[in-house]
Amino acid sequence: MSYLILSIVILLIGILGIILNRSNLIIMLMCVELVLLASTILLLFESRVFYTLLGQIFAIMILTVAAAESAIGLAIMVNYYRLRGTIAVRALNLLRG
Amino acid sequence: MYLLVILIPLLSAVGSGLGGRYLGRRGAGLLASVWVIVSCLLSFVLCYEILINGPTVYIDLGRWIESDLLITNFGLQFDTVTAVMLIVVTTISGLVHIYSTSYMREDPHLYMREDPHLPRFMSYLSLFTFFMLVLVTSNNYVQLFIGWEGVGLCSYLLINFWFTRIQANKAAIKAMLINRIGDIGLMLAIILIWIKFGVLDYCSLFSTLYPSSACTWICILLTIGAIGKSAQLGLHTWLPDAMEGPTPVSALIHAATMVTAGVFLIIRSAPLFDHSPTATIIVGLVGSLTAFFAATVGLVQSDIKKVIAYSTCSQLGYMVMACGTYSCISSLYHLLTHAFFKALLFLGAGSIIHALLDEQDLRKMGGIIRGLPLTYILMLIGSLSLAGFPYLSGFYSKDLILELTYNSYCLISIYWLASITAFLTAFYSFRLIYLSFVSKPNLTRISAQHLQEADWNLLGPLLVLGVGSILVGYIAQNMVFAPGVRPLPLVPTIVSLAPVIMSVTGILLVFILRPYIIYYITRPSIYGFLFYAWEFNQIANYYIGSTVWKFGHTISYRTIDRGILEILGPTGIARFLVDRTKELSSLQSGLLFNYALIILVGAAIALKCLIVN
Repeated sequence: MSYLILSIVILLIGILGIILNRSNLIIMLMCVELVLLASTILLLFESRVFYTLLGQIFAIMILTVAAAESAIGLAIMVNYYRLRGTIAVRALNLLRG
Repeated sequence: MYLLVILIPLLSAVGSGLGGRYLGRRGAGLLASVWVIVSCLLSFVLCYEILINGPTVYIDLGRWIESDLLITNFGLQFDTVTAVMLIVVTTISGLVHIYSTSYMREDPHLYMREDPHLPRFMSYLSLFTFFMLVLVTSNNYVQLFIGWEGVGLCSYLLINFWFTRIQANKAAIKAMLINRIGDIGLMLAIILIWIKFGVLDYCSLFSTLYPSSACTWICILLTIGAIGKSAQLGLHTWLPDAMEGPTPVSALIHAATMVTAGVFLIIRSAPLFDHSPTATIIVGLVGSLTAFFAATVGLVQSDIKKVIAYSTCSQLGYMVMACGTYSCISSLYHLLTHAFFKALLFLGAGSIIHALLDEQDLRKMGGIIRGLPLTYILMLIGSLSLAGFPYLSGFYSKDLILELTYNSYCLISIYWLASITAFLTAFYSFRLIYLSFVSKPNLTRISAQHLQEADWNLLGPLLVLGVGSILVGYIAQNMVFAPGVRPLPLVPTIVSLAPVIMSVTGILLVFILRPYIIYYITRPSIYGFLFYAWEFNQIANYYIGSTVWKFGHTISYRTIDRGILEILGPTGIARFLVDRTKELSSLQSGLLFNYALIILVGAAIALKCLIVN
């Protein structure tokens, strides 16, 4: 049960981090990592509770995806920094409705 | 032949209107004059048949409106009233046609220039005659309405004949609009007749009448129609302004024919009025007040045509008043004699104006008796006739009306107003004669040099009308009033003598008051009050005209049209949609965290919906 609460808290921290963060893009990326981490913990917990392997398979897959995602995200960020000289989230408002 | 009388003026109008450029000025004048004269002669023959031999002729021309509820035919009805009106309309019109061929050109002595629009003028005159004949010969109210509107239209076209003058345009629009007010009354009356009695032709209507409150309302509405057309008190303001048209137009339309249409309507609807004493008293009061009002205003006018216009208004008041004493036939009699002497006066005034190089101001005339002796004699005959001098035509009819009003069982005040009016009439008509012909010359040198009588095209009609003014009253006495039908008012000797005394006193008073006849027009004085026609125009413009105008601008236009309807309609909806879409699109702020929030909120809502379902 405490795992469930832990993972949900981490998930909420990650989501709130994405929503409330106004300064740095890296923090946003880290928050995304947190969200993925929380879901991984949730899956592992679920596989432990229900005695299935599917959750663990998914957890490994999410780890892979998270690694790939953070690698691509960092690459985009670096490119963006080269282009603009800043990675403040505030500055990412060129496209507005 | 009955149809020809009506159709010939129409053919003449079409001929000189459409073929004017081929006929030329002289040709169009000749064509129109000859044709209308032919129509006039035919109408004389016709009157011989109807008045002397005494039948009433009905001609059915075919179906017009056919429905279950309303059947209206095109039809003609020739009875005594129509016959008298036919004489009036065609005779005056024929003479005015001839007169116009000479009058409608600029001064021949100074520079020979002729009005290039004469064919158009002739066409309008003939068209007017046609519509007037349609009005008087119709056998139902709807067909009468064609003529009624037609003469209004022609009045507009003719007042506006010199369309480059702004005053003429304004006067024409005024005439048209004020006539419309009366026309609405007539239209409502027709609708009410149809609702109440279900028929619109005279024969059926007058044989199915029964006294009811509807009769009163119908009669009051008919009276409103007559008030508009016959320039009675309240809606009279268009008539003096209509003097902006050429003088023959004033003579034809605003003296002899069109304004008598209102009186004709009342005479024609006499059986209806017989069933409604209330409406009859109203008619009598309106007529007598108009007669008195116009006579007082006529006393002080300085424009020769306006004096005559107000006298027309006054005499129309007499006719309407006569209808108010249950004696429509005497009204018709006065209509007949009035047509002759008023046309004579107007055409005589035209002759003066023509001789004085378009000078209309009485104060700038005087002493032209030396240059225009024939016009003087004719004008004198006309004025004496108008004043009701014994043994001229005006005497017979006016005397009869005065005695009838004394004898009528309603209001004696009508008699007193009429008597005072008779006195005032004599005064202003001789004031006109005195100021234009007799008093000290006050002309410009150039017009004094060129002072001479016009050609015979202009004087011939005047002579005929002069003879008519002398004789018509006597001749028509037994023609209009078939023997045995004529009402014989029983009055004391002093009452039967009163009109003569009044008119002679009025005539003599002019020569006693000679030095005081012309006075300076200042606003806050009785003279100014009378000169500006009891301030009717000012009151109407200030209280009615400008109020309606302001209402139209602020309420109808700014508040409703451009306000409420615009906001609820196109502009409001468009602006609303644009604003809302701007707000929606501003949700996409370009900031990542906002997007994240929206995604989250959206996901939450979707989840909620899923769970609920």
